Amino acid sequence: MTTHADDTIQTSSPVPPRATGGLRRRLLKILKRLPVWIPLALLMGWTILPILITLSISFKIPGEVYSAPQLIPANPTLDAFREILARQGFKGAFVNSVVVGLGTAILTLLVAVPAAYAFARFRFRGRHLLLLFTLLPRLIPSLGLMVPLYRLAVALGALDNRLTLVVVFTGTILPLAVWLLVGFFQQIPRELEEAANVDGTNLWLRIRYIVLPLAVPALITIGVLAFREAWNEFNLVLALTRTAGNRTLPYELWLLQDSVGFANNPGMAAFAIMTLIPFIFIYLRIERYVVGGITAGSTK
Amino acid sequence: MTSMRAKPNQVSRRSLLRRSFMRPPTEDRNSLIGHSRVIPYLLSGPAIFMVSLLLAFPVLYAIWQSTYRAEVIGGETEFVGLQNYIDLFGDPAFLSAMNRTAIFVFGCLILGISLALVFAFALNKAGRRLRFLRGITIVPYLVSGVAAAVMFRLMFNAEFGQVNRTLEFFGIDGPEWFSTPSLAMVATIIAQVWTDLPLAVLLILGGLQTIEPSLLDAASVDGATGWHRAWYVSIPLITPQLAIATVWFSYGTLTSLGVVLALTGGGPMDATRTVPIHLYETAFVELRRNEALAIVVVILALNALLTLIYTTVSRRYDLRS
Repeated sequence: MTTHADDTIQTSSPVPPRATGGLRRRLLKILKRLPVWIPLALLMGWTILPILITLSISFKIPGEVYSAPQLIPANPTLDAFREILARQGFKGAFVNSVVVGLGTAILTLLVAVPAAYAFARFRFRGRHLLLLFTLLPRLIPSLGLMVPLYRLAVALGALDNRLTLVVVFTGTILPLAVWLLVGFFQQIPRELEEAANVDGTNLWLRIRYIVLPLAVPALITIGVLAFREAWNEFNLVLALTRTAGNRTLPYELWLLQDSVGFANNPGMAAFAIMTLIPFIFIYLRIERYVVGGITAGSTK
Repeated sequence: MTSMRAKPNQVSRRSLLRRSFMRPPTEDRNSLIGHSRVIPYLLSGPAIFMVSLLLAFPVLYAIWQSTYRAEVIGGETEFVGLQNYIDLFGDPAFLSAMNRTAIFVFGCLILGISLALVFAFALNKAGRRLRFLRGITIVPYLVSGVAAAVMFRLMFNAEFGQVNRTLEFFGIDGPEWFSTPSLAMVATIIAQVWTDLPLAVLLILGGLQTIEPSLLDAASVDGATGWHRAWYVSIPLITPQLAIATVWFSYGTLTSLGVVLALTGGGPMDATRTVPIHLYETAFVELRRNEALAIVVVILALNALLTLIYTTVSRRYDLRS
């Protein structure tokens, strides 16, 4: 690279070599970019390091965590993962999380799509409720729902039931889902539906064959956000479940943390890593939906 | 006719369609779509019912039941008026929990908003790598609060945690994070900020991306350095996004239970016993549910105050997008 540059300099001009000038310019350029690069490196470290360190601990055996605390494990082992996978608590909670997560995503879409269509296309008296929908999730955090919904579940005999979790999580994510979908449906030109209308298509067919295919990105966004909500929710699982058979992963992880104390650090690390599994697998595909969803949901 | 539309099973699809939608276009409404008295209520009914039952009803229930109290745990409740609130605000444990929550929220805001600003400015200049970097930024959003707490527990461990090992490298003797009250609060704040930061970064980044480049160019021509441009041009322009990010951050930290409960459990010596922990213990450990509902109402009131700020800000700046 440098010899090549020397060649060109010799052939092009007899004046003192400009290679050092180029180097200086390049150094200056790097120096100028430092105020951007340092924060970006910091951002990467801040975001990734806690996960990497946990991953590193999950590949060690308990004693090694203390005796060899370096980041890269000397003898990586999957023992901790095997141990956690063999735990009844984990298996049950994982299945519950998947069931409740998918159930919430599906129920949210089933309830939110018609509602959003009504808000987006019809003029009716209930329309002003839409504004309430945008404010409710902010006014009412899940922390505030713990005790009242516990009481409600006791009264309805619905305590400690996975279906209750699905319904409750759907209720907490619905306002956001409807709000996002209304915005999306309003962008679909009415003319498309009018044309289909003239051709003799009823409401159901119009939603099925015109609106929904165009709204696929929004549907994926809402499905992902609903799944995440159900997968990560801790407060309401704490309030609404009693037996191990109905708990989801965050609750089970919290119990593990309480019970094993300091002894099984790799086990805890492995458990924490495994709660990330669904996102690791689909993350690259859903990233833009998540970005779009959380920003759209928060500004307004 | 409306009853026909309400019962689609009784008529064939085509006749229903003709009845409800094949109207000649009228002058005042230039659209054929969206004319029905009943259908919108049928479509939105389930959602409105679920939201009323699961979000609105609990609030009314909390307000109503917070005026009752059971003399014996699990016993009959009787009306006590505002006594639960009077007792609550006379309870030193609750007052110090409020105090700690204030410290916790402000600590999170100071650390979180400064980090979010730095990160958002850097991301805004990231150029081609933006998408990849932004993708990394939102990873904590997908991690549950409990899992994040487990990660930070391992990181801040006094014996093998990477935080103390790094401090050791610089010749500083690492402290016992979770048995020193003030440091436990610091560790909790850091873990909470980690889980809540992505949204703040994205909001501020969104604001930065809407700034007209010509404004920054004009400032450069006038001789403003990078820092000056950021401070005197960019930050004033993103005030609304900054305000919204602040309010959102406050929501998350004010009502955070999972992170604190799994990280410190409120300890050591109640040093991180915030209002959410106090609420959890009153309701589910001490089983004083009606008293807990009074705490719920206080939290809801604080949240409503934040929402008021939020709506004022977004209305004044008319934030859309």
